[in-house]
Amino acid sequence: MTAAVITPSRRKGSGFWRAFARNKGAVLGLVFLLLVVLMAIFADVLFPTSPWDMTAAPFEPPFSEDALLGSDTLGRDIAAGIAHGARVSLLIGLTSTAVAVLIGVCLGAVSGFYGGWVDDAVMRFTELFQTIPNFVLAVVLVAIFTPSLTSIVLAIAIVSWPPLARLARGEFMSLRSREFVQAAVTTGQSNLTIIWRQILPNSLSPIIVSASLMVATAILLESSLSFLGLGDPNLMSWGYMVGAARTVIRQAWWMSFFPGIAILLTVLALNLVGEGLNDALNPKLARKGRA
Amino acid sequence: MPRIAVFISQRLVKAVFVVLAIAVFNFFLVHAAPGDPAAVMAGEAGAADAKFVEQLRQQFGLDRPLYEQLGTYMGKVVQADLGYSYRQQRPVFDLLMDRLPVTLSLTLTSFVLALIGGVALGTLAAMRAGTWSDTAITVVGLTAYATPIFWIGLMLILLFSVNLGWLPAFGTESIGAGYTGWAAFVDRLEHLVLPVVTLGLFYMAVYTRLTRASILEVRDMDFVKTARAKGLPEWRIVSVHILRNAILPVITVAGFQAGHLIGGSILIETVFALPGIGRLAFEAVLQRDYQVLLGIFLLTSVVVVIFNLLTDLIYSLVDPRIEVAP
Amino acid sequence: MSNRLRYIRQSLTAAALAAALATPALLSAPTVAVAQERGGTMNIIVQPEPPILVLGLNQQGPTQTVAGKIYQGLLTYDFNLKPQPELAESWEVSPDGKVYTFKLVKNAKWHDGKPFTAADVVFSTSKMLMETHPRARAVFAKAEKIEALDDYTVRFTLKEPFGPFLQSFEVSSAPMMPKHIYDGSDYKANPANATPIGTGPFKFKEWVKGSYIHLVRNDDYWKAGKPYLDDIYFRVIPDAASRAVAVEQGTVQQTQFNDIETFDVPRLKSLPNVEMTTKGYEFFAPLSWIEINTRNKPLDDKRFRQAMMHAIDRKFIRDKIWFGLGRPATGPVNSVTRFYEPGVKKYDFDPKKAEALLEEAGYKKGSDGTRAKVKLLVMPYGETWTRLGEYVKQAMKRVGVDVTLETTDSAGWVNRVSNWDYDMTFNFVYQYGDPALGVSRTYVSDNIRKGVMFSNTMGYTNPEVDRLFAQAAQTNKDEERQQLYSAAQKILVEDVPVAWLLEMEFPTFVDKRFKNAITTAIGVNESYDSVYMVKK
Repeated sequence: MTAAVITPSRRKGSGFWRAFARNKGAVLGLVFLLLVVLMAIFADVLFPTSPWDMTAAPFEPPFSEDALLGSDTLGRDIAAGIAHGARVSLLIGLTSTAVAVLIGVCLGAVSGFYGGWVDDAVMRFTELFQTIPNFVLAVVLVAIFTPSLTSIVLAIAIVSWPPLARLARGEFMSLRSREFVQAAVTTGQSNLTIIWRQILPNSLSPIIVSASLMVATAILLESSLSFLGLGDPNLMSWGYMVGAARTVIRQAWWMSFFPGIAILLTVLALNLVGEGLNDALNPKLARKGRA
Repeated sequence: MPRIAVFISQRLVKAVFVVLAIAVFNFFLVHAAPGDPAAVMAGEAGAADAKFVEQLRQQFGLDRPLYEQLGTYMGKVVQADLGYSYRQQRPVFDLLMDRLPVTLSLTLTSFVLALIGGVALGTLAAMRAGTWSDTAITVVGLTAYATPIFWIGLMLILLFSVNLGWLPAFGTESIGAGYTGWAAFVDRLEHLVLPVVTLGLFYMAVYTRLTRASILEVRDMDFVKTARAKGLPEWRIVSVHILRNAILPVITVAGFQAGHLIGGSILIETVFALPGIGRLAFEAVLQRDYQVLLGIFLLTSVVVVIFNLLTDLIYSLVDPRIEVAP
Repeated sequence: MSNRLRYIRQSLTAAALAAALATPALLSAPTVAVAQERGGTMNIIVQPEPPILVLGLNQQGPTQTVAGKIYQGLLTYDFNLKPQPELAESWEVSPDGKVYTFKLVKNAKWHDGKPFTAADVVFSTSKMLMETHPRARAVFAKAEKIEALDDYTVRFTLKEPFGPFLQSFEVSSAPMMPKHIYDGSDYKANPANATPIGTGPFKFKEWVKGSYIHLVRNDDYWKAGKPYLDDIYFRVIPDAASRAVAVEQGTVQQTQFNDIETFDVPRLKSLPNVEMTTKGYEFFAPLSWIEINTRNKPLDDKRFRQAMMHAIDRKFIRDKIWFGLGRPATGPVNSVTRFYEPGVKKYDFDPKKAEALLEEAGYKKGSDGTRAKVKLLVMPYGETWTRLGEYVKQAMKRVGVDVTLETTDSAGWVNRVSNWDYDMTFNFVYQYGDPALGVSRTYVSDNIRKGVMFSNTMGYTNPEVDRLFAQAAQTNKDEERQQLYSAAQKILVEDVPVAWLLEMEFPTFVDKRFKNAITTAIGVNESYDSVYMVKK
């Protein structure tokens, strides 16, 4: 694992922004992402009727009168679906990443801080999860616990945490031996305080970068699950739209085209932002452009 | 080399334990699901009475206590017996072997092509860093990386099968066409093109990014400068000095992703209607065919473990300075 | 769009009528000297792949279609469900309706050369099927004794009259199994299961799992000169889109049941090389409905269920979700099944009436416009049912009922529905030619059995309905049965124990070169001994 050299002091906000803005792609990504967020927030204003409502004739092509991006087999508006679907994608992307970060950082912290047999046990456990192909595991988890918002978020989190645990472990291991931590140990601070107050704030940068990229992966995972019919049936999501369109692709290309573009652009934007964050937070690693 | 032998045997022992642990974990996971295969089969037969379901349960051994079922299962796993699928009336091993060629030809071809293409493109981009070709490769790579593979598959079908009619969209061969010999081979190859491209594209993007980043890092190191100073030809510097060192992180990630390819093949096999392991897994989940699901889990875990082992070995071959430490 | 659908529908009805008129002639004159040439190979889709071909041991749909060519029953049924001879050449019923005597054909032989005799019939109906075939068990358990009077005469003596007894002898309801192979063995473990032996026109040749099943002409078939075809290949094509392509390219010559997804039907119907029919499913007569757990609030209220019938537009479902296949159902009996009663209460699509009924039942609109909340467990049998779930959710929302969709896999679905752990779900069941076989099981209270699928999982009880169904089953006088069933249907339609949706139709696509494929009410499960290929 890479041991990044980070000064314990926090960077100044303006410095961060300057570094971030230097990456034009990242700024573009951020702007687009904000648009998606706005679309998600104002979906009810833009498309007041439910995305499930049959508002047009079935199989209307794009740019027709009552369906800007066309309508689907039952006459539902694709554009409304995309706007409302943004909510689901972002919601699942963010919450599942949050859960994965929580699991990963906790396990990684314990492992890296205590070392020894604890480290060994946690790493074996992590390895176990990394050996089972993650998408296969996610499919099985969602299918077994029946598709719902909760089961999807948990399944994505469960298959996503291992890399974060390894990252956090590396950070904690290297910071554990630094002077300021040693000083805290000699002043008699409890382990929990040291982990929480001293080490965690200083290992946040790489974790934030990884997490931002993980949101993108989580959105892709969610769309893949929905595509297979393992989405929450009450929530309109982009992956569901592509999956439902698959069988009628000869009759209605627009049904799968537009939701797919929505996924693509959002995930792309998240990746660009992630890289921008990387440049701004980890200047030394900036050129590595880790995947 | 005795050191390599020690290393391999240590790794193997560890791998066996990982695989066994996974077998136990999967067993409990799969049995946590509500509903059992007996109920599904009874339901599908159109009419069911309690006696029929009970008969099936006894036949499948589902009436035994869970720990007993686990014991039976592990006992068989140790003897490399994957059990019997009563739903399909066949040994699980045979089922897997039937489906394996499709999945292997899909994943391995994609993997190899992605690796070759990714390293080549990544090298090109890195050597011309900052030029328009670098930008183009980076943008295309980023886009491919951000695109859901099932969607790429659908779009390729739309373009090449529906609109242009160049390539077949579904299946592994033309049904009932009765091709033999060379024609049959070409027919199969044609059916493989779109799925392989779809699955390969994503991984090619990953390897391109990695290679580029890795080369940029190595490029300015002292030993490269020395080589340049010695006046070695550029292609030699790139292929021998830079690439050899830059490729290590790519190998690590590639070995790691072997398992992910199988996950991806669930989607690809669904989109292109290929009768492979991925589809088998998905159907087994939906039908609660425990034995088949457990078999697939075990098989994929073994494949991943083997790939990790291979990665370590290749690592040590590419860079002999690296210690093969357990 | 709707115009086109209407046109399609009209031409469809016309075609069905023409077929119905033409059939009796075909049936009564099977030896007519048309150009029924020997030879030809037919490729038929089979989906999903059957687990085993021994029809006595497995009665899943695909097994029936393949094994129907290998095995035979004593009878088959015409489009009006009248019994027709097959392995039994004639039969007699005693006036009290308790004794049935069958005369068997004398020259039928098993594929291994042994003669088919009365002993095989007695063995099949009184021993083997009693253990392996739930539907046959329910029927033959009514027999007091089953005996062979001589080698070619079998007599069934019933404990009491059973109306639909003669409807229980087609090949999948009571397949004749060879006694000399199965008697005294463990049926399921019999090594002969890999090479099924029947009396039918086609013999098992080869099975490449995951790919095809190959049947060849039985040269010793008991009907002289038949069958006409040399081989039948059943092709396994798991993906719906590939199946449609195979029909388009002409690589398969027949598809049936759900092989072709509903949205592909309009496109394939216009192909020049195939013909589509919805005939040949009269024996199955599938009926779909929303199954309603009447134990749960608010579904325990009859008015709530009636409101559902008004809130859901079944024409829309037929036209937009099933792409024109099927007929809106009027009640519990499919109109092609015997004893259908048309004079029942009608539920038009009328959201206002639905809201009025909900008001009356006390389900007032809350501040968010919601009157009640219910859950709908979507049947995991493919996309069409998912679309239906989405439609029902929206349709109910329009009258103020909030429907939450739940999805599950087939194992979870069977588990939850059979254990009554649901509010509403979809279901469709076959009616097997007679209300006593395929209808009453859904509604009578003594079939409320926890853990059993396709029973009265709604928990619906009405003593009058119980009485009517019981009485109708115990007589074989058709007029009397009609009266009893009509009364039962009227009560059920008033009570709405399930919300009936469609009398489902399945499309059968047959290559135009192949004639005589669909001639009876069991359609594609027929033996195909009279199917022939017109060579160009």
